[in-house]
Amino acid sequence: MAAGGLRQTQKAATRGRVVEAARDLFVTLGYEGATIRQIAHAAGVSVGSVFTCFASKGEILSEVMQDRLEALYAELNRLAPHLRGSTADRLRSMFAIHFAFETAHVRLFLAHIAASYDWTLTARARPFGQNAHFRGLVEACLAKGVEAGDVAPEADLASIVELLVATYAWTYRLAAWENADSQTMTEAMDRQIGLIASGFAPR
Amino acid sequence: MKHVSPNEVAGDTRARGPTRRALAKQQTRAKVLAAARRLFSEHGYEGATIRDIASAAGMSTGAVFANFSDKSDLFRDIMISDTVALVAQMREAVAHAKGVEEALLKIFTTGYAYYKSQLPLARAGFTAGWAPQEGEMLRKLAPLRLIQDLILEELNAGVDRGELSPESGLKLRAEMLHDAYLANYPQAIFEGWSLEALQARARDQIGILLAGARRG
Repeated sequence: MAAGGLRQTQKAATRGRVVEAARDLFVTLGYEGATIRQIAHAAGVSVGSVFTCFASKGEILSEVMQDRLEALYAELNRLAPHLRGSTADRLRSMFAIHFAFETAHVRLFLAHIAASYDWTLTARARPFGQNAHFRGLVEACLAKGVEAGDVAPEADLASIVELLVATYAWTYRLAAWENADSQTMTEAMDRQIGLIASGFAPR
Repeated sequence: MKHVSPNEVAGDTRARGPTRRALAKQQTRAKVLAAARRLFSEHGYEGATIRDIASAAGMSTGAVFANFSDKSDLFRDIMISDTVALVAQMREAVAHAKGVEEALLKIFTTGYAYYKSQLPLARAGFTAGWAPQEGEMLRKLAPLRLIQDLILEELNAGVDRGELSPESGLKLRAEMLHDAYLANYPQAIFEGWSLEALQARARDQIGILLAGARRG
């Protein structure tokens, strides 16, 4: 039992070191550029140890992104109840916070999206687009709009959430295809939210 | 000199030689493309190498490079011919649609039905599309914009018929519809959604995205 416990602790420590090393290398070398060997070296562990914790590089990436998101959601949780204005404006603020947060590492975020199409990802990986917490925040924002009267009571909130999340993800095409910065993406998202909002406004 | 082989006739050689060579080249290309399509489907874009593709096609890597400049060139060729074929099917489907909502729904579902039998290739397309280098080349291809163009055409037709109000935002609406169309592929690829489920999701998205543009 004690040995098992120790092993678990060691494994958790290795995991943490690998994620930390990977985060730095993904930023400096890019996701495609950084190899498992380099990550292992930077973490001071063997390649074999990396694979006892993670099945693939894609799984490490999803862990790195998950870690970063915790900081983002801590901020969003704190801010969400205090957002003011129409539902469209509150949504705009929430997504603007996202774009600002990702602005320093847009390439990494694009790799995260690309990796979500990787079919070798295991069930343990949490690829982009699976974030229930984020969906919950968006849905709460819409529900508040129903109460406030600027979202039609009969609107299908779950579908609107899905559409907003899809729209958000695909707005990153501007970064991928046109090298757009977060300001440009935020403005594009603002217009897109306006268009969606014109559809859910009460008649 | 009773028998003269056609090859010995100078004029004939000039007339036939290039044609035969062109034909052989075409066959080589077709063989490489078929092998590439299979390997991209089985191993994804990153997993398939030119060496593997050449060996699956039964030729040397040199012969592959004589026809395609690199892997992304091969992949582009497949994406382009597929998209052109798909858009032709979409156009056929919308010809009988009653109204803009039905037309859009047919565009979406024709796409999902087309890729249903080759989802791994669609997946490879998305991976390549988001990748830093391959993506840049892919997205510059005019044929890959055909679907979005068709969506915009249908929106404009909706305006002409008086279903939608004339507005400046139609192009953005078409872009968002196209994004929504693409955004549903992960459900098909990874979660095994049926065509019916995809259609239901698409109907919701189209409904929301058109609601603001409806007349009256």
